[in-house]
Amino acid sequence: MDFRGILDRLQVVGAPGLLGHDLPRPPDPKDKKDKGRGGDPFVWVEPEKLPAFLECCRDDARLSLELLVDLSAVDPSKDDPNLWVVTHLLSLALRHRLEVKCALPKAAATMPSSASVHRGAQWHERECAEMFGITFRGHPDPRHILLPEDWIGFPLRKDYVFPDEYHGISCK
Amino acid sequence: MVETKDAQRTTADPGKREFMLDVRTQDMEVNMGPQHPATHGVMRILVRADGEVCTGAQPHLGYLHRCAEKIGENVEWLQYLPYTDRYDYLAAMNNNLGYSMAVEKLMGIEIPRRAMMIRTICAELNRIGSHLIAFGTYGLDIGAFTPFLYMFREREWMMALFEKICGARLTYSYIRIGGVFNDAPPGWLSEVERFCDVFEEKWHEYVDLLMVNHIFVQRTANIGVIPRAMALDFGLTGPMLRGSGVDWDLRRDMPYELYVEIWKSGCFQIPLGKGERGTLGDCWDRSYVRVMEMMESIQIVRWCLGSIASGPVIADIPKTIRVPNGEAYAGIENPRGELGHYVVSDGGKVAIRCRVRGPSFTNLAVLEEILPGALIADTIAIIGSTDIVVGETDR
Repeated sequence: MDFRGILDRLQVVGAPGLLGHDLPRPPDPKDKKDKGRGGDPFVWVEPEKLPAFLECCRDDARLSLELLVDLSAVDPSKDDPNLWVVTHLLSLALRHRLEVKCALPKAAATMPSSASVHRGAQWHERECAEMFGITFRGHPDPRHILLPEDWIGFPLRKDYVFPDEYHGISCK
Repeated sequence: MVETKDAQRTTADPGKREFMLDVRTQDMEVNMGPQHPATHGVMRILVRADGEVCTGAQPHLGYLHRCAEKIGENVEWLQYLPYTDRYDYLAAMNNNLGYSMAVEKLMGIEIPRRAMMIRTICAELNRIGSHLIAFGTYGLDIGAFTPFLYMFREREWMMALFEKICGARLTYSYIRIGGVFNDAPPGWLSEVERFCDVFEEKWHEYVDLLMVNHIFVQRTANIGVIPRAMALDFGLTGPMLRGSGVDWDLRRDMPYELYVEIWKSGCFQIPLGKGERGTLGDCWDRSYVRVMEMMESIQIVRWCLGSIASGPVIADIPKTIRVPNGEAYAGIENPRGELGHYVVSDGGKVAIRCRVRGPSFTNLAVLEEILPGALIADTIAIIGSTDIVVGETDR
């Protein structure tokens, strides 16, 4: 199924938390500042409803997005008040992909964990949490995964300041 | 003692573990690693053991974390390419390909046909090399030393082939954004053909020596069973998924580059685990898929050699690449599963986000589920069968 078909189906089943979609488009010739957008289409979903949305995508027979390929986040810029939490889903039976995006305010970066829907999300969320400072409520194992437990700051945020030293090891 | 009973309930064949019950034991936590030959790199698995039975396992990663994703946000698009070599260092060609494809998708560049041919040949040869290591070291883990040396013999030739085409033996940076770095030197393609001929003969040696070897089958069948539902729940990909009998290969199901044509020509198949020697989705099945895939890769390489096109090997791209505003995800079939690159650009010289979805990372998570209940000796066989590269789990 193509993106249009997936979107129609999401609307028909009333997927929880679906806010809208974003398609690639060429630059607007009238507006010189507009750069257009290339790449893949995606849907916007409310962060609070993400687990329910993923569950709906997984269990609906005509979407059948049973594999969570990736869950990560993006800090678009220093000035942006939001982080994006991006989930990539894959359907083996129907051979299509779906990119799901949630806008999460940096000031209150907390959302429910999807680990109960896809067990594979557990580690991705741990990585996401330590790198971006997102709290996944109800996560069964909220430890750091790649970084040491005592690491200060969230390295993949755009406003991250590199540390001068770590346990007496100079980082300069 | 409660722990032991729990552990027995989760084993595939509880009847056989009966003898454990009358041995008085206590829980013990053992650190496997960070330096342990079976972890194939710097990784630690905290194993809780009750006597000889593993009752819990907790992988601790991050020892090899090199901030690849952060670096991706600080260097130019082309400068990031050498870093892609370094996460899955056993399949660097595939990593180069995955990253290049994501950037190309966002830029919308057309790749010359000859470049795609050479890319496919390199990626498939690298897949063979990677599976040779996976299978060879797996034998080594469980005590079969000789096959490992046999496999290194062929891998050595494969690396010599890569050295001839790009000068490097492990970290190639050969597949570039827009094509490949340079054309194959004279005689290279015919040497690849010779390699295919020889490899097809030698492949039977591996099957006889290890794959159907009675001791190997006894060590790997019926342990570390991953049922289909568990494989999907964990998001496993690659041989780990196919070993559980799930018919999925990106090269056929979501073909990229030349794989549309190659699949249509019918020259290769997707081997699946069938539970031939034990239970579907056990360690033997995963090894079986890898071993069979090597032969399929040879067929793909042969197809490319047979229909090689002439022409340029790299598209016309500027020295400093500016990628249009937007975001793209490109997933390719790495030897270990789906390698995804998710790149976000704002139109500048540097990426906003350069996310790497490494197959080893997701495949490793399943250990938490399948190790409890196994015998300590079997944990080594189970860890080996996941075929992880720590460089990729930690990135």
